[in-house]
Amino acid sequence: MLAYVLLPHKAQNRMLLVASYVFYSAWDWRFLSLILLSTVVDYFVGLRMERETQQIRRKQLLWMSLAVNLGMLAIFKYLGFFADSFQDLIGSLGYEIDPFTLSIVLPVGISFYTFQTLSYTIDIYRRDLKATTDFFDFALFVAFFPQLVAGPIERAKNLLPNIAMPRVLSWEALSRGAVLCLIGLIKKIVIADGLAPSVDAIYSSPDPSRLDIIFATWLFAIQIYCDFSGYTDIARGVSKMLGFRLMRNFAQPYFATSPQEFWRRWHISLSTWLRDYLYISLGGNRGGPRKTYRNLMATMVLGGLWHGAAWNFVAWGAYQGGLLALHRMVVGRMGETGEGVRRTLLAWGLRVLTIAAFFQVVCYGWLLFRAGSFGQITDFTGRLIGLTAAPAGLSIPAPPLAALLGIAFLLFWDALIEISGNVQFYARWPVAVRGALYAGMIYLLAFGATTATSAFIYFQF
Amino acid sequence: MKKAFSVLAFTLVSLLVLDSLVALTLNWAERSGRLGSLVQYFDYGRSVPGKLQKWETTPGAGGNLYDVAWRDDQVAESATRFAAETDPNVPVIRSYGMSFVNHIIRKAVEADQTLTWDSHAGPGAPPNFTYAMFEDDRDFRRSGDIAVLGILSSSVPGMAALSNQTWVFEQPAPFTYPIYWPEGDGLRRVDPLVQSATQHRTLAENPSALADWHNQLSREDYFFSWQTFEAIWADKSPFARLVRRSLATSHVDQTKADIANSDDYPYAEVLGRMVATFATTARSDGQIPIVMLIQSNHPGDADVLAVTTAILQEMGILYLATSEHVDPRDPSKFIPDGHYTPEVDQLFAEQFLELIHNLEPN
Repeated sequence: MLAYVLLPHKAQNRMLLVASYVFYSAWDWRFLSLILLSTVVDYFVGLRMERETQQIRRKQLLWMSLAVNLGMLAIFKYLGFFADSFQDLIGSLGYEIDPFTLSIVLPVGISFYTFQTLSYTIDIYRRDLKATTDFFDFALFVAFFPQLVAGPIERAKNLLPNIAMPRVLSWEALSRGAVLCLIGLIKKIVIADGLAPSVDAIYSSPDPSRLDIIFATWLFAIQIYCDFSGYTDIARGVSKMLGFRLMRNFAQPYFATSPQEFWRRWHISLSTWLRDYLYISLGGNRGGPRKTYRNLMATMVLGGLWHGAAWNFVAWGAYQGGLLALHRMVVGRMGETGEGVRRTLLAWGLRVLTIAAFFQVVCYGWLLFRAGSFGQITDFTGRLIGLTAAPAGLSIPAPPLAALLGIAFLLFWDALIEISGNVQFYARWPVAVRGALYAGMIYLLAFGATTATSAFIYFQF
Repeated sequence: MKKAFSVLAFTLVSLLVLDSLVALTLNWAERSGRLGSLVQYFDYGRSVPGKLQKWETTPGAGGNLYDVAWRDDQVAESATRFAAETDPNVPVIRSYGMSFVNHIIRKAVEADQTLTWDSHAGPGAPPNFTYAMFEDDRDFRRSGDIAVLGILSSSVPGMAALSNQTWVFEQPAPFTYPIYWPEGDGLRRVDPLVQSATQHRTLAENPSALADWHNQLSREDYFFSWQTFEAIWADKSPFARLVRRSLATSHVDQTKADIANSDDYPYAEVLGRMVATFATTARSDGQIPIVMLIQSNHPGDADVLAVTTAILQEMGILYLATSEHVDPRDPSKFIPDGHYTPEVDQLFAEQFLELIHNLEPN
């Protein structure tokens, strides 16, 4: 960190680039070649596209970028899945083929950095962005280590200027970054890792009760939020300490009261990417209601498939698309997220009830997401609605006390952001109160850091 | 800058105050016998020497494991019971296991009161403990007895340890056992330098013996680490205890994963040879060997039936594998402390009774 502070701006960038490549190579150095391929292709495509005046040539260059990046994704992420599905389909039609299995290792973070670099070439194609001439700055944009493996999926418009221009390193940014890291660690280690054994026990149980499934899915909703937003907080915190500003990826998603509001609060960098580069490219809402619903469904199904090469992710995407379409049909569009809005006590009460009701709708989506197979989805759904016989009672292992304390803390924290509309609501608090708050948070982290830790869920995507 | 340093200073001071308040509360709770589970939660993070010292000074306290399961004590007790057995023609079930095995055989004995049972067990005992107990107790079994060897899946990683104190950080019972290595067609036994509770107690007054013991642990035991054995002074701070617990848990989990995923310690080969030698020894002594394979509910455990099934079939060894009767992934079959429910133990006991009632007479 000291060396980083003392280095001039360009040398800082080179240092970060080397650090990013070392970071990625620590997992598997061979897959660094994919990042380099994506970087080289998109850098030169960007430069050529900017110079090119003929629209047909620009389009060809864009297709080249799409083919390389989506081709990598198709091979490393989806080829095995489609091969298996093809075999299943042929088998179900009564034909016999020699079974084969493709053992392709999924490179960590490939879905994130390919989408990030694709946004660069698409923005240049749309003339929304100028191509960068500094190859190493572009390489750092693709491989910036804090957000390389699980986002946020940054836009070139935001991150490239942050890389190209000298950054201001301040004590305030350092302290704000440290707080973000602390919150992220509490979310991941105390809550997500604390809840994981309870969730896993039910989702691997051969005969769970209805209550087991309900509790496990509630806990999974909290686990995945804390796991993923915890990673994002740490990524943003580390970046902030280094003088970068990464985009906000979560805005208290479980305070949403509708599917539209949920997607404005959950994995914001992906949902806005899908909106800007897929939904709008498909025509958005410009072709009338039927095409709008078709585009919504297509976007969300592909968004589901982005998460993983499995049918349950497709089902999750279809469920989310269906919810968005249904909501649009019934209620129409809604403009704001609700964060920081002043309300009467009665309005808050009604909102809390709606939040609780909509949370159940979100949770069924998480059941689709967490299920290990399509068979488990039908089995669990059958148990929930009483079509499949299930034992009575509750056998889910109780979560540790620290995780429950962590959830209470997080609820308090997110509620204060929601009410104040300010993510740094605590910045105006007296120094002594802030010191006591941070000490309490550090103690809570130590209190909960006793359970076994596991990899971030979103690393697999 | 000034403000950032003020916040940092207030954070550190608050942390110190908070830690002192927690320490005072825990002291008060311990003296007055209140908040037992909270006191225990913080005690889990004490260093291993710190925990053992506390157990030594409070011998009657609940959960004190200092004197349990030492093999020389168990052999001595076994000898006494053996001598007191009035009818040498009545076969005895002699089990070498842990609580899981005891729960099953206790249910079986309750159901069939003609059975006689002699138990040898250690808390969470690994197979190297149960197998060593079987070896050490050889003089106190008779022809016609039934010898039961318990293998608990969650304790399989302990085969690379010399004592629970290195790999069961939260409950480091100090009893010791050998580590076995494949050698020729059989097994080589590496015995621990410390063999009894009395010997362990004297370590505090004998620094060179303590150093030798720690040297042996660091040389032979895969789990021994500075995180768990050093910096005893840090036990005074509850915060430091929490940090230590986190480091220790992480170290133990990592070592278990290393043992499971590498060939550094060939646990599957050793386990197979233990089962084979157990059966051969028992049969040569005119006894009936039965292997009890307990699959606990930890998702990362070795599948003990899969690991031993080839040798069991090849040698025609009788066995009871819990995973053949109850799916270990079903949480409704377990109580919160990880043991099987009494109903499930009853089911296993019935299976065990069926095994022994259908034995061919020798």
